[in-house]
Amino acid sequence: MTLLRVLTPAAILLFASAPPAGAGEVVVAQKDKSFSRSEVSLRSGDRIVFRNDDSVVHNVYSVTPGFEFEIKTQLPGQSADERFSGQGEAEVRCAIHPQMKLKVKVEK
Amino acid sequence: MRRAAGFFALAALAAASAAQAEALLTAVSPVQREAYRLRAPVAQPEHNRSTPERVELGKLLFFDPRLSRSGVTSCATCHNPALAWGDGLALGVGDGMKTLGRRTPTLLNVAWSELFFWDGRAASLEEQALGPIASPDEMNLPLDQLTARVAAIPGYQQAFRSAYPDETISPQTIGKAIAAFERTIVSQTAPFDRWAAGEEGAISDAAKRGFALFDGEAQCSKCHSGWRFTDDAFHDIGVPGEDRGRGKLLPQIGAVQFAFKTPTLRNVDRRAPYMHDGSEATLEAVIELYALGGRAKRPSLAPEITPLALSAQDKSDLVAFLKTLTSDDALVALPALPR
Repeated sequence: MTLLRVLTPAAILLFASAPPAGAGEVVVAQKDKSFSRSEVSLRSGDRIVFRNDDSVVHNVYSVTPGFEFEIKTQLPGQSADERFSGQGEAEVRCAIHPQMKLKVKVEK
Repeated sequence: MRRAAGFFALAALAAASAAQAEALLTAVSPVQREAYRLRAPVAQPEHNRSTPERVELGKLLFFDPRLSRSGVTSCATCHNPALAWGDGLALGVGDGMKTLGRRTPTLLNVAWSELFFWDGRAASLEEQALGPIASPDEMNLPLDQLTARVAAIPGYQQAFRSAYPDETISPQTIGKAIAAFERTIVSQTAPFDRWAAGEEGAISDAAKRGFALFDGEAQCSKCHSGWRFTDDAFHDIGVPGEDRGRGKLLPQIGAVQFAFKTPTLRNVDRRAPYMHDGSEATLEAVIELYALGGRAKRPSLAPEITPLALSAQDKSDLVAFLKTLTSDDALVALPALPR
């Protein structure tokens, strides 16, 4: 299910203003070693844009069966997106900062 | 004439000192200091709220060597309050005098940790407390034997009834009691705290310069952040060795290979030697490692770890600052153990 794209901030603005048809998008920022949201609800096929607004690197990942992915080392200012398909609840975390937790609920 | 020249020289010196002092104040703003002052209340899980009975019971268990197979090792053997809740050794020593793979971490301010052990393999303090007891390398007492041994001591039966009236003596309640005690191990006010609160004379100018570097150019505070001076996170900082640390638990994630939990810097000058393996003997050696941008250059090396152009004065200022984080904590009175 992994579809990983590293986006420039300009590209994110483009996506934010004109999301692709049929696929929702939620931006989750990483700031002060926290996710900007603790929970996100998606429909299958929606994407989350993980944006590093922090001054340190992050490494977002999930090992929840069916939702496994890893956005490798993400430098300050970088963004990357991940598509969530299927149904269930994924626990997303930062591998470096364990206090960063995000629950992602995915519905058909 | 000579006297006048002397006067002007003195006046120039005074002006220079005033400018220096002003530069220091500018370099270290009250906002920066404030970021290190906010102490959160002691974190307590819903299922194990602190009570005096629980803390007292936990203290008994913590200091009781009968919690080891040999009967000679207690939690306090390695987490010795007289050694800043560590053991002062490069590597821990376990059952049968076996040398362990990592240095004993301090228990200071452990109440606020997110994950436990150097590699974060325990998710709660309650779980962590049982790990070294059951580990064949450490206290080597299987948990069923632990329960039987504790439950056979009349004094403990009474103490458990008072502390956990609705629960039986079990590994879970033993872990909970030890955790309740460990949450009381909290560093007190250090000279740095008095300075952060506005007492200018509480620390030296060298320490102030050291803090400006720590929180500025040297970027130490990227990871050693907040009043505990830790982000509770896992980083490869370039300590040589084969121990993959957090990477053993998350083998698929490159960034946490050779990564270990950021330790608190509170009372750090009482806890030499340093690093997860005790490989750096002094604070000066630790700063040298960071100045080099780590001694081991691996793909997992944290991007924050880059070589630093630190002068001898800078290094000495950083050490001066680190020493201001030590508080004069109250001595711990040893309990009389139940028989």
